[in-house]
Amino acid sequence: MKTKISRTLGTIAIAASLAISVNAQDAVEIAKKAHLNYYYAANDGLAEVSMKIVDSKGNERNRRFSMLRMDEADGGDQKYYTYFYEPSDVQRMTFMVHKSAAGNDKRWIYVPAVDLIKPIAADDKNSSFVGSDFTYEDVSGRLWTEDNHTLTGEAKLNDRDVFILESKPIKPYKGFSRRVSYIDKELYLPLKEEFYDGKDKLERVLTAEKIETIDNIPTVTERKMQNLQKNRYTVVSFTSIKYDLGVKADLFTERYLKTPPREYIK
Amino acid sequence: MKERIVGFAIKFPWVVIGITALITIFFALQFPKIKIDTDPENMLPADSEVRLFDHQTKEDFGLSDFIAVGVVSEENAFTPDLLNRIYAITDEIKNIEGVIVDDILAPSEVDDIKQGEGGVLIIEPLMSGEISTPEEARYILARIKENPILRGKLASDDGKAIALFIPIESKSMSHRIAGEIKEITKKYGKDEVYHIAGLPVAEDSFGAEMFTQMVYSAPAAFLIIFLLMFAFFRNFRVVMVPMLVAIVTVIWSMGLLILTGNTVHIMSSMIPIFLIPIAVLNSIHIISEFHDRFSKYKHKDATIRHTIGELFLPLLFTSLTTIAGFASLATTPIPPVQVFGIFVAFGVLVSWALSLTLNPAIGILIPDAALRNFGRSDDKHGVMSKILHRIRDYSWKRSGAIIVTAVIVAVVSGVGLSMLEINDNPVKWFKKSHPIRQADIVMNQHLAGTYMNYLVVDAGEPEAIKRPEVQKYIESLQRDLEKDPIVGATTGVTDVVKKVRYELFGADSAQMFIPKTADEVGQMLFMFEMSGGDPEDLFKFVTSDYDRANLWVQLRDGDNKAVSRVVERAEQYLRDNPPPTGIQAHWAGLPYINIEWQKQMVSGMRTSFLSTFVIVLIMMVILFRSIRWGLISMLPLTLTVMAIYAFIGFIGKPYDMPVAVLSALTLGLSIDFAIHFIERFKMNFRRNPDFKEAYHEIFEGTGRAIFRNIIVIAIGFVPMTFSNLVPYVTVGTFFLAIMLVSGMVTLFLLPAIMKQYHRSLFAVKKTVVNHEKVAAN
Repeated sequence: MKTKISRTLGTIAIAASLAISVNAQDAVEIAKKAHLNYYYAANDGLAEVSMKIVDSKGNERNRRFSMLRMDEADGGDQKYYTYFYEPSDVQRMTFMVHKSAAGNDKRWIYVPAVDLIKPIAADDKNSSFVGSDFTYEDVSGRLWTEDNHTLTGEAKLNDRDVFILESKPIKPYKGFSRRVSYIDKELYLPLKEEFYDGKDKLERVLTAEKIETIDNIPTVTERKMQNLQKNRYTVVSFTSIKYDLGVKADLFTERYLKTPPREYIK
Repeated sequence: MKERIVGFAIKFPWVVIGITALITIFFALQFPKIKIDTDPENMLPADSEVRLFDHQTKEDFGLSDFIAVGVVSEENAFTPDLLNRIYAITDEIKNIEGVIVDDILAPSEVDDIKQGEGGVLIIEPLMSGEISTPEEARYILARIKENPILRGKLASDDGKAIALFIPIESKSMSHRIAGEIKEITKKYGKDEVYHIAGLPVAEDSFGAEMFTQMVYSAPAAFLIIFLLMFAFFRNFRVVMVPMLVAIVTVIWSMGLLILTGNTVHIMSSMIPIFLIPIAVLNSIHIISEFHDRFSKYKHKDATIRHTIGELFLPLLFTSLTTIAGFASLATTPIPPVQVFGIFVAFGVLVSWALSLTLNPAIGILIPDAALRNFGRSDDKHGVMSKILHRIRDYSWKRSGAIIVTAVIVAVVSGVGLSMLEINDNPVKWFKKSHPIRQADIVMNQHLAGTYMNYLVVDAGEPEAIKRPEVQKYIESLQRDLEKDPIVGATTGVTDVVKKVRYELFGADSAQMFIPKTADEVGQMLFMFEMSGGDPEDLFKFVTSDYDRANLWVQLRDGDNKAVSRVVERAEQYLRDNPPPTGIQAHWAGLPYINIEWQKQMVSGMRTSFLSTFVIVLIMMVILFRSIRWGLISMLPLTLTVMAIYAFIGFIGKPYDMPVAVLSALTLGLSIDFAIHFIERFKMNFRRNPDFKEAYHEIFEGTGRAIFRNIIVIAIGFVPMTFSNLVPYVTVGTFFLAIMLVSGMVTLFLLPAIMKQYHRSLFAVKKTVVNHEKVAAN
């Protein structure tokens, strides 16, 4: 009797540990797949982005810009080029990021009023992107290898089947202590992400408001980031999306900051 | 009527006592519902324009009230050890409930815009982790000095002082949070000194300490008054009666105040302190009279009837004048002062009613045996009487000299009054030795100031703040304001623009100017947001649609006088330098609110005082049925008010909120002695129309009652003068001064005038008396 019980317990233990490792495997896979779909769609891409920032008092601020992206390799280095149209006084301002998978990103900004290019620091990835509720990292992505992932369950979200994934930074990180992602099982895109702060209080919630298929690529074309603690939010919508334009790498150099590439930027 | 009331009280003492007890229990049951409010902001009605604008400004620019924490090390505050400990302190402060973590200003919390390697623009915390070398510490100080947004605010240029600004969700939390911060600094502190300052802490702590004061000073005054009365009358049971009347009066008034939903404010917390002496004053006259007559009548019933009959009119009028004095406060535009005035007036009414009902009711129940020796001691040969007789003879002989002296005192007082300076500062409600005052002194010596005012520049339309002419106007306004010695720093959106421009051009100070186009201004501000600057930091200086800018004007001095000067300076500048079209400027901030309510208080108190003066004069004319006597009876009051306020003017004590409100008390109390003195004098004279005899008579019973009152009230409030809180000291001193001055004027000047002019004053009266006699016949 006694042996039978211990044998049974042993079997359960082995099964459980197997399940955990399978789970961990799955979790990392899911995280990676979702990351690549979300941040590395096609080899390059262009979109016109409208951003609406709404503060706690309901005041609205708008920004409009074109964003050009080129991947060197999936999950590897990337280059971003941003050209601002609005607010009108910053029209012709441009902004460039060389994102490095190894971790030392570079950023430059061109200030037309004084005709000056200035490199700006990229150490703090958690800082706000153009004053919105998105951080730089939310825009260009945080590599899945920087966090430990656990599959904590499955559920339905807006009638879609989702994996629930919990990610914790491997190295202590100011941006969040815990992130819970709801990843569409079919599209492998995050429909919702919850960011918890250092005190494990829910701080920000990212939601995919609209998903469209463009050039056969499912794309989140409207995203909303809410900051629950500051009671404000930002909505970005992407239009005129184009993929695989064959953008060349030399476009992402200082020269083009002053004179935008007319074939992409109107 | 009076006979009927007293008769009832004597016939059915237990009914009177029972009803009084029931009402008292009812009011006492209200006490647990007490609501406390110590916010001086409530000196202005909640819907006053100044307050509404202040709240709107705080909301529009995301501003909060803050606690200023100062760290001072006379050698050098910028050492790795101290900075690391301040880092740890800041980290712990973040965990305190009610602290707005995002808006803390501290080396580890504020962003610095600077040049990184290869000319990279960086915005990152001034101190992003623990440091280990003196060079790093020096570098942090250098960065603060190079940043117009932080300079002077976060550290003194000599590096001896560091300030942390801790924003809090509500002013009413500041006393608690300041206490928790103190604990944290104790844990980490070494040789350096920590200070906690700022108006919210001062205001909230005052409230907290005020109630501790109340717990001590009211009972202390009560005890001393009791002991002095016992010394005079030597009968425990008799002396208990007025004390009981005082307690019941306080319970009814405070109970009604709480029942009607009023909050106990700095002012209303003083109601008991005001009511105790007023209630006791009436009783001393009653007991004195009873004491003097008891040996004559030897019958309680008759003595009580006689006493009340004799004192009814004076008691009615002294109560009416006091009620008028306090009720007039209801006409001031300051809600807490109104509440204070109304409920003290109510208390005076209660104490008057009780002294006619409860007093005789309890008096009749005191067994005759207990009164066997009461009144037997012959007062006429006591020390008190000896002094009174000297005064009597002196006033008689030197009546002319006394009148001349009074005139001189009045003239000199006029000079003192002209020296009165209107000023107030809630921080100065604490004595100089108090930690809050010390913090205020030290921090304002080293840093840009602990008082924050805001000047909102409204340009009328969106984006207008970005216009270079508007930016330049704000900048030159800043430079002008900074010329005032108490303006420690001004910070505005202009400083952000210039600082970004300076860093954009590789820390080139030649480039640190306001751009020439609105686009460039916009791009500089966008740069700030692009390079990691927190937009919420920016929007503390400007609205997000750029129609209004908020200039932080940091002051080293919170005296209303000083703040008014800065406000006036800004107005002058706007007049002399007409701003670009459509621009208006308005002030917000706690120091500004304080000067606004002071303005209202000063004008309100003036009207209330002058109107009460006239009302009291009319009452006196009615009481004495003579304009001349009415005017004479006003002399002690007038001279007392003049002398006390002149003294305040001479010693340079500011005319502040407590001093202003005390004019009502002075008015209400200073007339009392004169009423008793003149009314009883005339009564004596009517009975026996011999001036000299009446003159002698007044210095017996009435003179002793006045004398006892002077002693009891003046000494009873001496403990208050040892308080840590200046308003309490002021109130205690006022009681002393009112009693001494009005007592002296009553005992010297009134007899002197009567003696000097008795032929005319009493000749007229005589005929009236004769008429009455004829009529009676």
